[in-house]
Amino acid sequence: MKIVTVGCGMAAAEFVETLRTNGSNDDIVMISNEPFIPYSPCSMPFYISGEPIDTVFWKGINFYKRYNIKTILGRPVTNIAVENKCVEINGSDRIFYDKLFFASGSRSYFPDDNWLNIAGVFGFKNLQDILVIDNYIKSEKVKRAVVFGGGFIGIDAALSLWKRGLNVTVVHRNNRVLSQMTDQEGGIYATEKLREKTGINIILKSVVKNIIVDSGKLKGVTLDNGDSLAAELLIVTIGVIPNTEMLGVNTKGIEVDFDLKYHNDVYVAGDVASTKHMITQKSGVYATYPNARSQARSIAYDILFNKNLFRGSLNTNVLKKHIEFPIISAGYFEGDPYTYCDEEIFRRIYLKDDQIYGYLLVGDTSISGFIYNLYISQKKVGNNIMKFLSLKRGKAYYIQALSV
Amino acid sequence: MKRIFIDYEKCVACKACEIACAIEHHPDKSVLSLVGDKKAHSNVKVIAVENINFASSCRHCDPAYCVDACPSGALKRDRFMNAVIVDPYMCKACAMCAMVCPFDAITFKKTYNSPFGRDHAVKCDFCIERIKIGLNPACVDACKTKALVFTDSESFVKSKEKADLKSFLVGHSKEPANVKLFKELKKEML
Repeated sequence: MKIVTVGCGMAAAEFVETLRTNGSNDDIVMISNEPFIPYSPCSMPFYISGEPIDTVFWKGINFYKRYNIKTILGRPVTNIAVENKCVEINGSDRIFYDKLFFASGSRSYFPDDNWLNIAGVFGFKNLQDILVIDNYIKSEKVKRAVVFGGGFIGIDAALSLWKRGLNVTVVHRNNRVLSQMTDQEGGIYATEKLREKTGINIILKSVVKNIIVDSGKLKGVTLDNGDSLAAELLIVTIGVIPNTEMLGVNTKGIEVDFDLKYHNDVYVAGDVASTKHMITQKSGVYATYPNARSQARSIAYDILFNKNLFRGSLNTNVLKKHIEFPIISAGYFEGDPYTYCDEEIFRRIYLKDDQIYGYLLVGDTSISGFIYNLYISQKKVGNNIMKFLSLKRGKAYYIQALSV
Repeated sequence: MKRIFIDYEKCVACKACEIACAIEHHPDKSVLSLVGDKKAHSNVKVIAVENINFASSCRHCDPAYCVDACPSGALKRDRFMNAVIVDPYMCKACAMCAMVCPFDAITFKKTYNSPFGRDHAVKCDFCIERIKIGLNPACVDACKTKALVFTDSESFVKSKEKADLKSFLVGHSKEPANVKLFKELKKEML
C-alpha cells in the first residue's frame, strides 16, 4: 500500500510515527511546501528568544531516515484529484496513492496583501517565519516590535520577542487579550497579569490601520484612533487560513465526521480539519496539538486495524511559556459560573446540568488536570465544585477519591 | 514491572522522602546544600487530606495523559523502567502536560538541570540511575515506616487485594500499633 501525506507538520509526523511503530511496512511519502524536518510550532518561538534550533525538531533530526520515509519537500501541492487518487505537485508531477493523509496546516491571514512585500512585516505561523524574523532582527538591529493580534499566537510571539530584549507592543481589537480562550473577567485578569509581570505594552480596543514604510522597510504603524507607533518589526497574528484550496474547498476547514474522512481514501487532520467537539458535538477547527495527535493516531489505527478511535476534539489550551502564571482554558463559558479569585489566582468553572461546560484557570496548574478530567468525563459535580476551587497543590484528586 | 507504592496507613508524614528526593536531585548530594537553595526541588510531596497523609508523586501512568499532550518531544517513556521521563533540553515549559495530569504531579521550576536558565517541567524520574545499579529509589530507602515500597506491581496488587479482603472480613487492621497510636495522638492535637 502507498500512503501519502500532504504536509509534514505535527499531525503528519504523528501519523507516520504511529503507522511505523505499529508495524506498517507500507511505502510512505510525505509532501510539503516547506523544506524542513517535522518541527514543533510550540517550540519554535524559543529560537527567537535564543534557544538552539535543534530543540524545534521534536521528533528528532533523523525522523525521515528513522522511519524510512520518502519526502518531497519545498514543493507545493497544487491539486488533488480524489477520484484518480492522485496528488499533483507544482502543477506537473503526479504522485498516486492508496491512502491520503491531508494535513496541510494553515497560514497567517494578512489584512492587506501589500504588507507582505514590506521588509519587516511577518506572520508567525511556520518555521520559515521564525528564521526570517530572527535574521531580520539581527541584520536590522531591531529594537521595537508591534504584534498585531493578541490571540494565543500573538501573545506567544510577543513573549518570545520580549524575552529577546525587544520593546514589544501588542495591539488587540478586543477589551482583553486571549479573548477566545477567556471570558470577560478572567481575560481582563490575565491581561492585567501580563502587563504587570512582563514588560509588554498592551493596547486594547485598537487595530493597526496602516503601516509606515520608508524605502521598502517598515518604520512604524498607525492605529485606527490615529496614534502612530514607531517600530521596525510588525508581526501579524490576527488569524489563520486553513490551506484547503488544493482539495477545491474554500471553507473554514474541511468538515469531517468522527471517521475523519473527506473521501473514501482521503483523511484530514490538524489545522485543516473541522471536526466534532467531544462534549458539544459542534463542528469547528480545533487547532491544537493534542487534537492533531488524537486525529492522526485514530487515522493510523483506522488504516492499520480498521478501528476508529476518534471521539472528538477539545478546545483546551494553556499559555505558560516564558511566564509563571499559566493561563488555562477549555470548553465554553456558558452556564452557571463558580469563581475563586485571590491576588495570584483566578479560577472559574462554568456548569451546565451539574457538569463542567467550560473553565478558565489563571495563576497555577494545581487543579487543572483534575478539572480537565472532570470535564472530559462529564461527571456530575454540582455544588461540590466549590471545595476544589481554592485548593493548593496536589490534593484535589485525593479529596474526590476519599469522599466517595 | 517494579513500581513505587504508598501504604497510607503507615505514613506518618515525616517528610523524609521529600528530603531524600531533594538530596538525590541536588548536585552536592548533601542535606546542608538544600538550605535556602531555590534550585533544589523534590519530586515527591507529602499531602494531607483530613486525617490521612501520604506521599504523592508521579504514577508513571501507561498510557499517560502528559506524554500524549507534550508538543515538544520532551516527555518520553524510558525503555528500562517504562517510566515517564522529562528531557529538560527539549522542554519548553508550555504546561500542556500539567494541564492534563489528574494528580498534579508535574511542576515547573528552574533547577540545576535547566539548560537554558529558565524553568522546565519537573517530575519524578524514578531515580533510574539508582535502580540501574541495584538500589531503590531515594524516597523508598528514606522511608522510616516502610510506607513507601518499591516492588513488582502485579504481585503487590494481588497481595494487597488479599489483605484488604481479610481486613474487611475479619476486621483485622494492617496498621502497626505504634503508628495507630501516633495518629490517634495527632488527631487529639488538631
